Amino acid sequence: MWAVVVRNAIMASRNVFFFFELLFWPIVGVVSIGFMTRFLELTPAQTSFVLIGTIALSVVNVCQLEVAYAVLMDVWSKSIKHQFLAPIGIRHLTVGSWLVGMVRGLLVFTLVTALGGWAFGFRVLQPGIGPVAMFLFGCFVSAWIVGVFVCALITLFGNRAEAFAWASVNLVLMLAGIYYPVSVLPDPARAIAAAIPLTYFLDAYRSYFGFATEFASPITTGLVLSALYAVLAHGAFFAAIERARRTGLLLKMSE
Amino acid sequence: MSSPAAVLAIDARDVEKSFRSGFARGRRTLALRGVSLAVPRGTIFGLLGPNGAGKTTLLSILATLLTPDRGTARVLGLDVVRDAAALRRRLNMASGRPSFLWSLRVAEIVAFYGRLYGLSGAALRRRVDGLIREYELEPYRRVPYNELSTGLKQRVALAKSLVNDPELLFLDEPTLGLDPDVSVRVRAHVAALRRERGMTIVLTTHYMREADELCDEVAFIKAGRILAHGTPDDLKRQIKLGSVIALRLDPPTVPWLADADGVLRVTPDDDGWLECTVDDVDKRLPVLLRQLIGDGVVVRNLQVREPELEEVFVELAR
Repeated sequence: MWAVVVRNAIMASRNVFFFFELLFWPIVGVVSIGFMTRFLELTPAQTSFVLIGTIALSVVNVCQLEVAYAVLMDVWSKSIKHQFLAPIGIRHLTVGSWLVGMVRGLLVFTLVTALGGWAFGFRVLQPGIGPVAMFLFGCFVSAWIVGVFVCALITLFGNRAEAFAWASVNLVLMLAGIYYPVSVLPDPARAIAAAIPLTYFLDAYRSYFGFATEFASPITTGLVLSALYAVLAHGAFFAAIERARRTGLLLKMSE
Repeated sequence: MSSPAAVLAIDARDVEKSFRSGFARGRRTLALRGVSLAVPRGTIFGLLGPNGAGKTTLLSILATLLTPDRGTARVLGLDVVRDAAALRRRLNMASGRPSFLWSLRVAEIVAFYGRLYGLSGAALRRRVDGLIREYELEPYRRVPYNELSTGLKQRVALAKSLVNDPELLFLDEPTLGLDPDVSVRVRAHVAALRRERGMTIVLTTHYMREADELCDEVAFIKAGRILAHGTPDDLKRQIKLGSVIALRLDPPTVPWLADADGVLRVTPDDDGWLECTVDDVDKRLPVLLRQLIGDGVVVRNLQVREPELEEVFVELAR
């Protein structure tokens, strides 16, 4: 696992795209959404509601991309067979990348909450350390789950599935209620939202800003769903690798 | 008596592999059709064959990167499917046209794979430094991979493949695309690995000179089947290409030579030599010489040439 941590950290420090992931897009997101809340003359509570969605998007996105890099970087450099020739389990890959992703996510979180506080009066610590930590944990766990599913898709379909790495988080956040409560979603979408762990972590954190929770025991439900999806994601990635060993895709992605 | 697992590094039986492609994966290509192979420990074994013969597929199955459809393969006494995780600790692989993370530097690449194999701290540093020294990569240790020449990349790949001090090393066309002088050095390294560490090495190659020089045993594979297997000298004999006795005679031609016992063919060349191909040079040469001298023919010069492995390859690949 340490091997993956060191590798991802080195790569993160050298790639210009990582700068955009870490600084540019999160800042653009908070600033543009923040100005929109001003234009719409939202109350401080409503502004916080919307900014929490933006912050979640930035944190989950940067962390899940790092998890996806566990496979993506080797696919891009056509060296993936060497990784799977080594005696490592997929948990070493995904947890190692996740650790780096959490550090990067924490940096993004610190940056955008500081910016949100300074420019738009968002008080991140208003609910206290515990709820903030739980919210961040929910974001990180969701990022791990999405990232591992993306790894599974890439291992299953090769480069063609690369777009999922960038698109999937936006889809998840759209359904989990990025700028709105999930109660405004149409029925089928609301049912899907109820199956997404992040929905519950957002709901719980927003409740500290004066919004009634939409679910009973959101934290517990979020954690239980996260555990379930974590097992499913791990199983899906494992099955995808086994299939790639059967079909020869593992070798094709290294040519 | 030793068990097969103690004597054999590889014991593959009736291995089959097919790949599916095309619309709805409806097209099936048979890559291996019941390949059986036994590779003794501590040998350099060559897998030869034309493009698409199944060499890399077989190597990948033995290295646990592919799973076979049918058959069994035991490597270092372990099953390549059931015991894959345990087996991976004990083997490694390097390919021709290697590729690693572009922006990692040479030392970082070797260290990354060292960590994947469980090395850390001082042991990792010692191993990385040792391999970098061994492969003369010291001046390049801080150079990013994408700035290296093809030859240097190949040396990085070889250094990486030894990071876990494997008992069994797979080399997939290790000198592909290298300059001749670099190829010579790579071959010297491979020979040294077996000589100094007793490592078992299985390599695929297109270069017959490489196989002839390095390999204790070779197998010719074509269309997913092993057509011949043995030492390079065995194969030359098995294929019955014959040996060539080149003669410079006075008079320059001898009418009865082509009909002599054991002579397969006689071909004159432009320089006045007669190339006389015989089935068994040890048996035929003394008889031919006696007959020539007895017939009053002066033998001005004589050379004996064994067939090249390349000729065996051409014959089998036909």
